[in-house]
Amino acid sequence: MNIRLKPSDIAKASDCLCHIDPGELSLLPPPYEDFNQRALTPLKPEKINNIEASLDDTVAIGIPKPATKQEEEALVRQFLSGLKKLFEKENNWTFLQPLMLSMEHCAKCQTCSSACPVFEMSGGKDIYRPIFRAEVLRRIYRKYLKPGGKITAKLNGDIDLNWTTIARLAELSYRCTLCRRCATVCPIGVDNGLINHEIRKLFSQEMGIAPKEIHDKGSVQHLRVGSSTGMTPPAAKDSVEFIQEEMEEITGYKVSIPWDVEGADILLLHNAGEMLAWPENVGAFAIIFQAAGISWTMSSEAAGYDAVNYGLWYDDVQFSRVAVKHADIARKLKVKKIVIGECGHAHKALTVIADRLLTGDLNIPRESAMVTLEDIVMSGRLKFDPLKNNFPVTLHDPCNVVRAMGIVEPQRRILRKIAPQFREMTPHGVDNYCCGGGSGFAIMSGYNFAEWRNLVSSRKKFLQILKAFEGEPPDVPKYVCAPCSNCKGAIRDILHYYHAEERSGLHYGGLVELVVNALAGMKKPIIRFGEKPSWEAK
Amino acid sequence: MGFYVLSYLCIMVFIGATGYLIYRQINLPLHVRWEIYPVQHEITARTAYGGSYMEKVNWWNDKYENSRINELKYMVPEILFLRGLWKENRSLWWFSFPLHFGLYLMIATFALLLLHACFTLGGFSVGVVSFLLSGLIVAAGWSGLILGSIGSLGMFYRRLTDRSLKDYSSFSDYFNIIFIGLFFISALATCLSGDSFLEGAKAYTFGLLTAGSSRNLYVPGQNVAGFLTIVSASLLVAYIPLTHMSHMFMKYFLYHNVKWDDVPNRRGGQMEAAIKNNLELKPTWQAKHINADGHKSWRDIASSAPKEMK
Ligand code: SF4
Ligand code: SF4
Repeated sequence: MNIRLKPSDIAKASDCLCHIDPGELSLLPPPYEDFNQRALTPLKPEKINNIEASLDDTVAIGIPKPATKQEEEALVRQFLSGLKKLFEKENNWTFLQPLMLSMEHCAKCQTCSSACPVFEMSGGKDIYRPIFRAEVLRRIYRKYLKPGGKITAKLNGDIDLNWTTIARLAELSYRCTLCRRCATVCPIGVDNGLINHEIRKLFSQEMGIAPKEIHDKGSVQHLRVGSSTGMTPPAAKDSVEFIQEEMEEITGYKVSIPWDVEGADILLLHNAGEMLAWPENVGAFAIIFQAAGISWTMSSEAAGYDAVNYGLWYDDVQFSRVAVKHADIARKLKVKKIVIGECGHAHKALTVIADRLLTGDLNIPRESAMVTLEDIVMSGRLKFDPLKNNFPVTLHDPCNVVRAMGIVEPQRRILRKIAPQFREMTPHGVDNYCCGGGSGFAIMSGYNFAEWRNLVSSRKKFLQILKAFEGEPPDVPKYVCAPCSNCKGAIRDILHYYHAEERSGLHYGGLVELVVNALAGMKKPIIRFGEKPSWEAK
Repeated sequence: MGFYVLSYLCIMVFIGATGYLIYRQINLPLHVRWEIYPVQHEITARTAYGGSYMEKVNWWNDKYENSRINELKYMVPEILFLRGLWKENRSLWWFSFPLHFGLYLMIATFALLLLHACFTLGGFSVGVVSFLLSGLIVAAGWSGLILGSIGSLGMFYRRLTDRSLKDYSSFSDYFNIIFIGLFFISALATCLSGDSFLEGAKAYTFGLLTAGSSRNLYVPGQNVAGFLTIVSASLLVAYIPLTHMSHMFMKYFLYHNVKWDDVPNRRGGQMEAAIKNNLELKPTWQAKHINADGHKSWRDIASSAPKEMK
């Protein structure tokens, strides 16, 4: 049942603030009606006994329950100390101005709510309104940190601060994908995605609270062993060797991937997850670059073969460490520019956000692979036979590439040239919807979180994909082009969860695979619908 | 004279508070980029779909360009007509637009009243210009008051009846809208009660310029509505910059300093110097992995490994 919840309700004790019951989510069309009554698999009591799980029917972080009242109080104090730091330039120069502006000027008009795919798809759950968590933070800040706050709270909106409030707020900050669709529609320019980002930072930077997938196994592992996948430099080299062999076997094209070439024009940074989950993407890049005669290299230095920067989602310090590492590797290799492969958040992290962090010789030019690829494809250096891609194709716009960077057309111009049945989703470009896997969701799968993602945060994307191919016979293979590793992971999971390959003939992949597939003169296609890739079949 | 003192004080509060708000924004440290596309000062070809200069190969070799014209083309209808709200939240626009436009017309009316008072002071109280000004004052004043009254009553009604607005409305949200409504309705009542040509407003504005020393000045409080108009208008002027309603002008910073701030950092530039200053700041975040002690700078911390790894 859709119970009405106000921001102050977050402090009220209960086992679960908001349930998602069967039938409440937005409806899916045929042949997916059987999913309309689907609800989240209940969390097993023995698994959540000792963790905070009172927000909704899922858990993203799994914060241990404090053992005593004193411990709870200490955590509340820690939270307030972190909140204060968000408004200090020594601690938060990175986002101080954007945060202050967004905190002070919301008119509570709710325009943002209708733009949020999580809120919409949840059937309008109040806790998923973009403004809900922002208003909770705003009220706590005003009441507990502003002079006279306890009195003005009666006038400006009250809230109780207790451990329940804080534990729920931490969890709630991981129910927003940071897609910032809400920010684009706000008439004032308030950014609730940003406020959510700052809440995550407070928890991570002051209290050490963050989902293990993005912190311990993510940015910490990235800096320790060289990749958030756990891949060490020798393992990365092995993977690439394997990819070279596979590419020759699959396409008949002998490719050689260069490592650590000093003075190369381009240092190509891939999300290392590609090497493990989608090696054909790494291979396809290599084929294109080699065929076009590009001077390029990959780096085998720790962190240099993994473009991810999970700090972007939750921790400025971890973010800065990884960004500096990436830039330093490029500096040592003396490359002319860094090109970021098909990884959306790595695009934004290194190109845009790190731009005001990197100085002097660390400020090495950085370019999106969409742009580099467009230049190659349009240059006439490669010959294409678009009919090799004569199947329905649609394009997913990764939020970090499109809405956060304004890289909208290069990938489209490529597709218009090489994919005769390319069609847009509605809406698309800067108005796109997130894949539902943004801000770390695609790699978070503890408890039943992956199911929440498939059912709620990715639901809008699934509907958009179905709509884009409306009218096509189910047995015709269709290709969802998602030029971002995280988006690809989320879309892979949606297609699997809803049996969409079987029911609608849906497949997914990156952009470079389509480019290579359309290359004239290739002996064999790289895209083979329905066939298991060799690395999975083995 | 008490009314004039009140008005002067309120204008001083407005200037002081607005000045402080702007001063605070200007003195904040340079933040990281967090723009969101479409960025409306991009060149025309790219604003059409929300593209950026980063769509070009080797974009850093080109000069950073931004188009003030494109920005104005977007900003003027946005400010005047609340185009974003029209597009995204039409049902609210029907009340929000008259409220905002009513306020703009009040600002315009006040500017015209000041001009009229200057003319009067200069001895041009008759003639074509003065006649024209009086006509404009009546037109702007009446339309502003009607629109503002509809808008404020409508917004109050929406806040009371729309669940999603009500759940987020605090006492001060209702107070704000009642306050604005009180001004519009009392001013409208003043005009309706025998001052259709806003003569009282003209005389009061004249009095404001002459610090009450002229024989022409309006003696306020001739009726309750007139009294309420002067008091509520004066207090409203002081009150707006103290609340979130300052978004009327702080929107400038939200758009220019965040949403559209796409200026790239170039080696050796002014921006780089500001970044270097920021990197010398010393954080005190307490989580173990940060490894901050209040002595290490952002630069030290960013170039070190997290504590868990050591
Ligand atoms: S964030 Fe913007 S759109 Fe959302 S309620 Fe506040 S003012 Fe309205
Ligand atoms: S950033 Fe995206 S997911 Fe988060 S609240 Fe805004 S619209 Fe919703």
